[in-house]
Amino acid sequence: MVYMRNCFLILASAATLAAQVKYEDILQGPRANWVTYAGNYQGWRYSPLNQITAANAGTIVPKWVYHVPDSRGLRSSPLVYDGVLYITNTNSIYAVDARTGRQIWQWADPKAKRQGVNRGSAILGNKVYFTTADNYLVALDRRSGGVIFSKKFGDETKGTTSTSAPLAVKDKIIVGSAGGDSGTRGSITALSAEDGHELWRTYTVPARGEPGSETWGDLIEWGGGAAWLSGTYDPELNSLFWTTGNPWPDFAGATRKGDNLYTCSLLSLDLDTGKMKWHFQFTPHDTHDWDAQSWPVLVDTEIRGKQRKVVLHANRNGFFYALDRVTGEFLRATQLIDNVTWAKGIDDKGRPIEIPGQEPTPEGNWVCPSVKGATNWMGQSFNPNTGLLYVITLEQCGRYNMSSQTPKPMSNFSGGGATEEGGQVIVRALDTKTGRRVWEYPMTGAGRMWTGTVSTAGGVLFTGDDDGHFIALDAKSGKNLWHFNMGELSTASPIAYSVDGKQYVAIASATSVFAFGLFEPAEPVTAPVITVLK
Amino acid sequence: MAMRAYCSIAAFVVALPLAAQHGRYLNDSQHPFIGKPEAIAAGAKLFSASCGGCHGPDGSGGRGPNLVRRALWHPLGDEAIFQVIRKGVPGADMPPTNLTDDQTWSVVAFIHALTGPAVDQKVAGDAVAGKQVFASAGCANCHAIRGEGGRLAPDLSNIGGSRPFGVIRESILEPSKDLFYLGNEGIALTLKDGRKLEGIARNRSNYSVQVLDKNGDLHLLKMSDIKEMALRANSPMPGDYGKRLSPEQLRDLLSYLANQSLR
Repeated sequence: MVYMRNCFLILASAATLAAQVKYEDILQGPRANWVTYAGNYQGWRYSPLNQITAANAGTIVPKWVYHVPDSRGLRSSPLVYDGVLYITNTNSIYAVDARTGRQIWQWADPKAKRQGVNRGSAILGNKVYFTTADNYLVALDRRSGGVIFSKKFGDETKGTTSTSAPLAVKDKIIVGSAGGDSGTRGSITALSAEDGHELWRTYTVPARGEPGSETWGDLIEWGGGAAWLSGTYDPELNSLFWTTGNPWPDFAGATRKGDNLYTCSLLSLDLDTGKMKWHFQFTPHDTHDWDAQSWPVLVDTEIRGKQRKVVLHANRNGFFYALDRVTGEFLRATQLIDNVTWAKGIDDKGRPIEIPGQEPTPEGNWVCPSVKGATNWMGQSFNPNTGLLYVITLEQCGRYNMSSQTPKPMSNFSGGGATEEGGQVIVRALDTKTGRRVWEYPMTGAGRMWTGTVSTAGGVLFTGDDDGHFIALDAKSGKNLWHFNMGELSTASPIAYSVDGKQYVAIASATSVFAFGLFEPAEPVTAPVITVLK
Repeated sequence: MAMRAYCSIAAFVVALPLAAQHGRYLNDSQHPFIGKPEAIAAGAKLFSASCGGCHGPDGSGGRGPNLVRRALWHPLGDEAIFQVIRKGVPGADMPPTNLTDDQTWSVVAFIHALTGPAVDQKVAGDAVAGKQVFASAGCANCHAIRGEGGRLAPDLSNIGGSRPFGVIRESILEPSKDLFYLGNEGIALTLKDGRKLEGIARNRSNYSVQVLDKNGDLHLLKMSDIKEMALRANSPMPGDYGKRLSPEQLRDLLSYLANQSLR
């Protein structure tokens, strides 16, 4: 019984977990750890790690693979803190050793009333947070996986579901709603990090009679505007930046004449109150399902000779926007992809100059970009060393049909449909000052990939390609440096982290998490002396 | 005593990794008796009179198999149980019965409930008193419920919502019964630099081990860092709670745990 009598508890590893994640840790951005969905509050998906460089990327090898149980089409971007990697799946979360891929704990909620994709977790203090598809915020002890609370924040019986990674800021966990393609009323909600109680809720579609409701018709209660991707945060302005999805019914605009505020928009919200500081609508009265969900990237840069606090946004509608993030003033829009047929451009106020006759019709109308959009929620990244924003773009068109049926909420009715035909995925590096392309990397494939990006101080851009490879590109030139066949398409965004001074890059494929690093010769493992105590 | 408490209750160890260990049905029947309280009550009476003698009054087994904690590879569906009750098991001690269809489905409904989450079952006892037992008997030193308690042993926040009553009961009384899998293995380590560490191996391979110590802190270790490793063959949870607790205390503790459900 010596075993249990002598409880010497000593820090035995470089990866011993004693500290906890503070707001200030998230604020300083990723270093060894990666503790918020987009890496930092500004949404850069940029890592200052520089062990893997453009010069040595050719020696990258897989370090481990973790198969996520019961997974299919994983959308989750991992977090890493003190040697532990957290990955989510539908209604479940897993903690694995970030050096070895060995599972430490798992938690699943088999009683969740909905299934759906999940994009990741948040971490604050000793709690890891994620949401179930039926709108519970679950907080678990990051070390043991024990549940600290599970709190409901949305009503699945009103079409609301949850897919995005929560955002932890100060004492709040910010969650957005999903479900906009079947009728719902979108919202962004702040919950207490301590116990999950609601602190404020801001709806993305006004209530009847409120300002903005005049831009709707009778279906305003089910207007959509889902907020299904994590937002970003400016600590100086104390502002959240959150994008919203399409109005509902997606393809049938006749029932909702008007601009349909605040769908397909970027909202600036006060962190403390949730009050809307300003809004900017990219696609008024959208009828092509062009959600505004690629997240807002916050950079300070010079535009037309003036230094600005800018929010950048690559939109599904085919244009790349720059706004003043203090005021919401429109600064610039450039064309993100080559094939845009629905608008001639964007006017001085930021409103699209639409070409008549591009709405969906019963017979079908051929429009570019396709319903998937010129880009989508796959993670873009900004590298401060190159000044470039890396965006996954899709040159694709499709046929948009409108249904003449009477809209019925929550019945999988989207007012029509759209095809995605052919197309090519192209990584594009955009100059944040001018919005112009600096380089591009075309891919082979069927236009099906949804992989995001991460860029590093080592001058490398990591992403997936449209054939199921994980690839490394030179962040300055777009030159291919390395590739690895994961055997299946990735639909998630990569991250970079380090443990024991060694840099890793990790990404979820459809069913597994892969971690990569530089080649090192294997060390023989000598087994310890093992005794079994009866 | 602190050490004693540390060693206690480190198991409901038949926990998360083997979610199907209790043999929940692969395909639940749509028969109207399934989940119907009246049918379950009727089935309980029939079970007690005709089945409990061999399978145990709570289905935990005896001369006949344990119906609650079935092996992962032998789950039974409602329809299959119906047929076994009706026809018996040829060549074994299980005889055929003369029960009517309704009577048979009542027994199936009872067995179905028996193998479902404890929170869905009618459980005797005083849950409030059980909470006190949970604290005074040392359970909370190792197990947590909604963030309160130790982190060493499996979290019990949803134990009633995820485990059958019979499994919870058995895990308290015979914690080492089904212990042999990685994830809750008692471990003591001496590292090559002389330092020592004890706790639970949440995972272990020939190359690395992930240990939760008694403070609930994680240690991620390479096997090449370890000089000596001692593994416990039994659960770190004491096996004498059947003696330590009075029948009333056990009943109340079970009532408290059966009510622990996140939904």
